[in-house]
Amino acid sequence: MTVSEAAIGGRRGNMPRSSLMRRIEENPFSWLLPVAILLGVFYLYPIFDVLRLAFTNASLRGGEEHYTVDSFVALIANPALPDILWTTFVFTAGSVVGQQLFGLGIAVLVMRGERRRLYGMTALRTIVLIAWVIPGIANGLIWQMLFSEAPFGAINSVLRMMAIQPVAWLSDPGIAMISAIVSNVWRGTAFSMIVFYAALKGIDNTLYEAASVDGANGWQRFRFITLPQMRAAILVNSILITIATLNTFDAIISLTGGGPGRATEVLSLYTFNTVFRNLDLAGGSVLSVLMLLISLVLAVGYASFLPRREANE
Amino acid sequence: MRRSLRVALLATVATCVAGAALAQDLITKDRVGPADAPKVLSFRLTGDGPGNTDPAVAEGYQKLFVDFIQKHPGWQIKLERMSDNIGQEQARMLEQAKSGSGPDCAAVDSFVLALFMNAGVLKPLNDHFTQAEIDDLFPFVREGITGKDGKIYAWWWDTDLRVLYRNKDIVPTAPETWEELKAAAIASKDKGMEGVLVNGGRWEGTTFDWLANFWAQGGKLVDDNGKPIFAEGENREKFLKAVNYFKDLVDSGAAPKRVATIVNYDEFNAAAAAGTTALFIGGNWQLAQLKSTLEPEEFEKWTFSPIPGPTKDQRSTGTGGWTIGAFSSDPEKVAMCAGIAKEIYSGPGNALQQQLPTSKAQYDKFDVFKSDANKAFAAALVDGQARPGVPIYPEISNQIQVMMGDVLTGAKTPEAALDAANTAVQAAYSRL
Repeated sequence: MTVSEAAIGGRRGNMPRSSLMRRIEENPFSWLLPVAILLGVFYLYPIFDVLRLAFTNASLRGGEEHYTVDSFVALIANPALPDILWTTFVFTAGSVVGQQLFGLGIAVLVMRGERRRLYGMTALRTIVLIAWVIPGIANGLIWQMLFSEAPFGAINSVLRMMAIQPVAWLSDPGIAMISAIVSNVWRGTAFSMIVFYAALKGIDNTLYEAASVDGANGWQRFRFITLPQMRAAILVNSILITIATLNTFDAIISLTGGGPGRATEVLSLYTFNTVFRNLDLAGGSVLSVLMLLISLVLAVGYASFLPRREANE
Repeated sequence: MRRSLRVALLATVATCVAGAALAQDLITKDRVGPADAPKVLSFRLTGDGPGNTDPAVAEGYQKLFVDFIQKHPGWQIKLERMSDNIGQEQARMLEQAKSGSGPDCAAVDSFVLALFMNAGVLKPLNDHFTQAEIDDLFPFVREGITGKDGKIYAWWWDTDLRVLYRNKDIVPTAPETWEELKAAAIASKDKGMEGVLVNGGRWEGTTFDWLANFWAQGGKLVDDNGKPIFAEGENREKFLKAVNYFKDLVDSGAAPKRVATIVNYDEFNAAAAAGTTALFIGGNWQLAQLKSTLEPEEFEKWTFSPIPGPTKDQRSTGTGGWTIGAFSSDPEKVAMCAGIAKEIYSGPGNALQQQLPTSKAQYDKFDVFKSDANKAFAAALVDGQARPGVPIYPEISNQIQVMMGDVLTGAKTPEAALDAANTAVQAAYSRL
């Protein structure tokens, strides 16, 4: 018997319990109940309500509500949906890849700087984090000013000073998407940097020392030690930022409004427009269900690549 | 004598200080009236109120609200400020009103008023306005607030319209037709300007400002039953003609390609202040903004004229504005709400912000509306056209915004873009 078991046993011996209390103590579900209620009320109920609304004709305009699959039929028949899904894919893929690459690059830079005891590494981390705490709407407005194609637009003014032709950052449909990705990568890189920085800190330094003894160069240490050791962090980060990017619409609405045309109208923005501009609650709910399914499929897909713990671990 | 003068002076100062302190107590950021007043009216408002970003306007509204609440002892007004995302705010308020959790009284954008009326959430206000006051409203205003039962369900207190602003030094003569505007815009480029600026991005302003060109030809978006008909028969031709006009402005260089990204009237003010444009289509309220933004000698160069039409005789301009409506079922609260509309906004509020009144009598009542500029705006209201108050309008507007972006960037031909817009609108209409 361990010390703690003895202590518990002693307490039990001193304080007789009713059978009800004993049953509550022994039943794990009673301990899980508070959190189950919390999750049910604040997370599961809204999801079920969205599912219910998707099977109705609900509208913010009013009118009698009845159950129907018309909203699903309308979604399937919507000719704009393939374009919106493609735009969402490009925006999400570009953002996820960009955030991972820049996040990893900055994290490695900070780690190397700290190992060499360089000054300013904390300041560098803080500066990167500033972008992360800026709200999406403000992020969009900042980049709108930078990308402005007016004669006084920030980036184009600099290009003109360098005798370079100004760029149609937001009015060209192809470039507008790149601009939207750049603004999202700028904001989201900090999160990836934090995740990767924490993962890098957790790598056993003796692995690098052993590799150095074996004569491995910098690239080989990165390729054969750092990346494999960070596999779990990269996959978890991929899940988190993919879901976050799929849900991003605030930065786009303030940067391009989804335009020109539908060039930057991602699924989340389309859902927002469906509910709050077209007042179509049922249509918006169907789109929300679609977003949920996409997120779930991607999350399960990523998770299947996560390294499994051994049974004896 | 000297002593009595001192006493009088002290009494005056004390009264003023006490009065100011009392006024301060009567209005806070989110409340008007004593905090312990038993009757409470919640009022959801836009920036048109005591929280206006212009200190002079804010102060003016604070005085109007304090004067109003002093005439209604026992009441306090809880102020709920909307964000600038008006579309979302109005949609949320509609949902709240439907579920019975909306404010007692609120500012309702005129172009969504029909949605609120159709949802049956607004209370009639006929008992609080005389028939003469209702009859004096401009026809499009009166029609807009009148329900199918003939009752008025809100009070439309201000309106606005779109005009063509120009820098007289660069464009001396007012362009009256589409061709004249194109020629003037191209000529302005020779003087270092970027051409004419219009709204062309993904927002309501793009649709609203452009619709003037469709309406000027007699085009109709919906029929009498609210069914979308803009892509049928003659309307289709007129629609395409108006779309091609904007496309030609961009293709010819008369307007910069960046118009497809403009989603704010402030962009025009910024361009005027930077001296990079001499022509833009904007709202009447921008005249006051230009006056406060530009140096006096620069402001003197700017003037405005009606929006050019396909011919000199074919003119139109979009008119909008704000209404005040009551959601409460309590007759006392409905009366207070009507009082706010009548005593604070309709007239004094118009004069304070120089926002165009909606009835002829108000133009004669306040000196501020006797200025040449305001007389010209009032005259231009003759060509005014409000957006159709039908449930499908938000989707029509959304599709026109998408279409405009596709056409101006060359992603689609006007015909293909119109067909795509019509398909989406008809699909949405079938689900209403």
